[in-house]
Amino acid sequence: MSVNTWLKSQRPLAGNALALTVWLNTANGLLAIVQAWCLAVILNAVIFAGADLTAVQSWLWWLLGLFALRAVVVWFAERTAFGAAASVRVALRDRVYRHLQRLGPGYLANQRSGALVETLTKGIDDLEGYYARFLPAMTLTMILPLAILTAVLPMDWLAGLVLMVTAPMIPLFMILIGSGAEARNQRQWKQLARMSAHFLDVIQGLTTLKLFGASRREVKVVAKISDDYRVSTMQVLRIAFLSSAVLEFFATVGIAIVAVFIGFRLYGLALPVPPWLAVPDVTFLQGLFVLMLAPEFYAPLRNLGTQYHARLAAVAAAEQLIQVLEAEPAQSVPGTEPLAARRPLGVRFESVRFRYEEGRDALQGLDIEIPPGQRIALVGTSGAGKTTVVNLLLGFLTPTGGRILIGAQELSRIDLEDWRRHLAWVPQQPRLFQGSIADNIRLGVPEASLDAVRESARRARADQFIAALPDGYDSRVGERGAGLSGGQIQRIALARAFLRDAPLVILDEATANLDPESERLVQEGIDDLARDRTLLVVAHRLATVRRADRILVLDRGQIVEQGDHATLAAAHGLYARMIAAYGDAGQGVADIQDRSKGS
Amino acid sequence: MKDILRLLDLFRPYRGWMLLGTLAAILTLLANVMLMAASGWFLAAMATAGAAGVAMNYFTPAAMIRGSAMLRTGGRYAERLVNHEATFRLIASLRVWFYSHLEPLAPARLQQYHSGDLLSRIRADIDALDNLYVRVLVPVVVALASTLIFGVFLFLFAPVLALTGLLFLSLAGVVLPLWSQARGQAPGRRITEDDSELRTAVIDGIQGMAELTVYGVTERQAQRIDDLSRRLVADQARLSSDHGLTLAAVGLCASLSLWVLLWLAIPLVRDGQLLPPLLAMLALFTLASFEAVAPLPQAFQLLGRTLTAARRLFDIVDTEPAVREPPGLSPQIAHFDIAFDRVTFGYPNAARPAVADIVLHIPEGTRAAVIGATGSGKSTLFNLLLRFWAPDSGAIRIGGQDIADFHGDDLRRHIAVVSQHTHLFDATIRENLLIANPDASQGAIEQACRVAQIHDFIAELPEGYDTWVGETGVRMSGGQGRRIAVARALLKDAPILLLDEPTEGLDAATERDLMRALDRLMVGRTVLLITHRPAGLDWVDQVLVLDQGRELAHGDVSVVPQATQAALLAVGPTVEPRHVTERDA
Repeated sequence: MSVNTWLKSQRPLAGNALALTVWLNTANGLLAIVQAWCLAVILNAVIFAGADLTAVQSWLWWLLGLFALRAVVVWFAERTAFGAAASVRVALRDRVYRHLQRLGPGYLANQRSGALVETLTKGIDDLEGYYARFLPAMTLTMILPLAILTAVLPMDWLAGLVLMVTAPMIPLFMILIGSGAEARNQRQWKQLARMSAHFLDVIQGLTTLKLFGASRREVKVVAKISDDYRVSTMQVLRIAFLSSAVLEFFATVGIAIVAVFIGFRLYGLALPVPPWLAVPDVTFLQGLFVLMLAPEFYAPLRNLGTQYHARLAAVAAAEQLIQVLEAEPAQSVPGTEPLAARRPLGVRFESVRFRYEEGRDALQGLDIEIPPGQRIALVGTSGAGKTTVVNLLLGFLTPTGGRILIGAQELSRIDLEDWRRHLAWVPQQPRLFQGSIADNIRLGVPEASLDAVRESARRARADQFIAALPDGYDSRVGERGAGLSGGQIQRIALARAFLRDAPLVILDEATANLDPESERLVQEGIDDLARDRTLLVVAHRLATVRRADRILVLDRGQIVEQGDHATLAAAHGLYARMIAAYGDAGQGVADIQDRSKGS
Repeated sequence: MKDILRLLDLFRPYRGWMLLGTLAAILTLLANVMLMAASGWFLAAMATAGAAGVAMNYFTPAAMIRGSAMLRTGGRYAERLVNHEATFRLIASLRVWFYSHLEPLAPARLQQYHSGDLLSRIRADIDALDNLYVRVLVPVVVALASTLIFGVFLFLFAPVLALTGLLFLSLAGVVLPLWSQARGQAPGRRITEDDSELRTAVIDGIQGMAELTVYGVTERQAQRIDDLSRRLVADQARLSSDHGLTLAAVGLCASLSLWVLLWLAIPLVRDGQLLPPLLAMLALFTLASFEAVAPLPQAFQLLGRTLTAARRLFDIVDTEPAVREPPGLSPQIAHFDIAFDRVTFGYPNAARPAVADIVLHIPEGTRAAVIGATGSGKSTLFNLLLRFWAPDSGAIRIGGQDIADFHGDDLRRHIAVVSQHTHLFDATIRENLLIANPDASQGAIEQACRVAQIHDFIAELPEGYDTWVGETGVRMSGGQGRRIAVARALLKDAPILLLDEPTEGLDAATERDLMRALDRLMVGRTVLLITHRPAGLDWVDQVLVLDQGRELAHGDVSVVPQATQAALLAVGPTVEPRHVTERDA
């Protein structure tokens, strides 16, 4: 769908406010014609008929009434125009964000979040000018000039002819000038998105930049990006200004010709027109009336030209919106069945394949059995595919081959929302959300009482440090925890998982970042949690997986070994090598160090 | 008012541009008014002359009309070009100005701000400042200058006309702007705040979508965004309605001014004090003159938003950095031994100091470890050593020089940090590595990546070192991202190496390889490791055990078992470095 069609197709979101805006503006235009007539009559009477105040008094009162009426109409027109655009904006922002949610984290991984944020905030706001100004202006160019011509032609068809001939020049030149504008405008929008994405990235990584002494260097980059944005903005604006200058020029020329034609005839001079053209005579009253209407005739066209820029901005923003809205969720047909299996849940991967992109196979025919109520550990080197398995299980990714069964039901047929209701998950790098610590723990169970929150924090061994904060559970936290250490954030995320009473728990490196004391305590908590539940633990550190019922060793997208710790340790396979490597880690360094010192 | 003056001060470098833009604007306005007035007079004069059958010179007025029409068109184009160019230059320079003030605040003073809030400031709030220049400053000067000229012009015909003209002009140009400024203040402030909150909610909603999805609260986040969106629109609607009202009111003022003029001037024409064609001229002049004040009400309405934005920028700019940079040059360092001399430090509003009375000397080229539980103060020692914070008492010395005498950047040039928390930027792998050293050769880059055990992985990627990392490394696995960050630290090649749990979250084989590589790197450098694992520390020369910010034990690695048994760290047989996996047994 072209951007234009798309923009137009969103009109129903504005309800009847758009139509009302056009009506009000039409009324205002018609009242302007009446006002011009009143004024012409008064001036004519005073200048030519020598009328005094009493003679024109009634006209003056009419004029006053018209002024008041027009003021009210203008006010209401402004309100409805805003209202029309506002409804579209609110509805679209909601729709686009919800669509992003449907697309899910799998889609977001390949997007720059700073640019998406810009689209959802400024981009949506940029639609305002299109619906509030451009669309009404477009309809009005078709109504008001016709109405004015209808009034002018009976008075002086020559002036009407001048108007009719000059009017089409305006859109013609606008199209000529505007043809290059669209591409430039698109570029300007990309610059803006790039600028925002870059700023967000820099703000979030400022400490890292500082560590490398690069934060001062970044000043230059900020200057360059801001300046690039200025240059591309000015390129767009130059065209907008030029086109409105051209518009103004033509309108002025048109008005001048009308004025000259009327003035010459009033003075009794011959007009520079072919003699066969029988030029009608005009009176001062007619002439003044027509002259006062001439600017009103061009006004809607000029207004359209001014709003053309608003249209360009909206088109650029709409392209980004369409890109998001046209993206298909990974799972094209979402599942609809409720989850059939009851707790505890069992999961089976049957020759599951997954590839991120051509040539980047992550999983190659993976078979995994996670029986109900068991504690399964997934280990393997980094990049072996552990996180991919988790993302498939969470429904963020869809297998490119094979199937995932929950009990006897295929995951692809299950309503993902219902499925996720039965999950608790602690990711590698948990994120805290804007709000208090209690709110963050409550994330999955918003109605949980503070006692329940405390209890789960206690089980996650987070209670002590939270209580020690000046505001306790009401302490506000930011996205990266604002002052909390990695281990503390991890424990808040664990508390989140504890609070959610889910039959399947997925822990992705949940005890990383913890000191041994906390790790042991949290491990106890996890043992608690594992009772009557199915537990999938992803780990690098083998200490945390020893108590698993079964350990799956993943290597290059395939399970190469499985069994309990004792069996695997004795099997001389990858797992045994990993244990050896781990146990060796500290010692290995010491050995080398001795050697290097010796040399 | 103080904020406005401060803003104007920031505009100072652009005063040449601004003067030019203002002059062009005044000229354009006068040309437009002249065009209208001359046309009205011309037509009426031609008609009266034609009716009376007398000759008149119509070339001069015709030339005036042509001239002012061209001047108006050209002037408006020039005025817009100059003023917008000036604005965007100004805004670009304000972003740099803001960033330069933001940068020294990281990380200590920025912890309390959400990145969405800061992004809002550097983006939307700075953009909002253009209002003050293009819509307030220039139009006010233009309105003042041209109103003065209009007044004089009307006075020439009749003082009473000048009086009423100025009355209505000041009604539209002073009273209405003041009214709309008062009305716009509260919604303007709310819009600025809600805009920032909306950005924050969208960033949370996008970057945190995985967790929101699994925890089934996507609906709530969508609702929150929708609520903010509606709140924003409600306040904008308020402003828009007021704007419509002032728009109508300015039009009404112009019309009333015309109306009163007619009442006053018609008798003058009757009495012969005013030539009839001049009445047509004055009528059109009056209508056109209101263009001078028409933009003011909306500009003043937006002043509330502008000033809130300015306030938010000044809030950041005025924040004192946690560490004051010393005047003068940083000292030279000949030796790279590190000494903590009775260092005590507490974070603002904290109940107890984060570290107290820390004494630690690390001779050049040796290795020290600080161990302790989460919250024991290990990271604080790093923050102090990196001069992100300054000690409350005591001193830290490198090569005998107090680090308080160094500029932060000069100090950090000597320090490389390998940590689990470094940020990967939304750029290629190569660009991420070059942050450490923009001049590094491909050979040096590959060497660092080999040491960090990541070269083979990168080499296998279709685009190699030009592969896009993706934001905060979302396209790499956790371990791969970490190793790229390690390689970046290695590339820095500094005499002091700080290790912050460098192998956390890596699998055993990688950890071993990385430690082996780091070991090679550590030769000849002064190394400080912080860790919460007391295991496997036999390669360090000394260990400092911290508990709640205080020294619990200090000595060679043999103090660790005693200390950990004595205190909180006691967690059973965790200190056998060879048998980490036996911990749970």
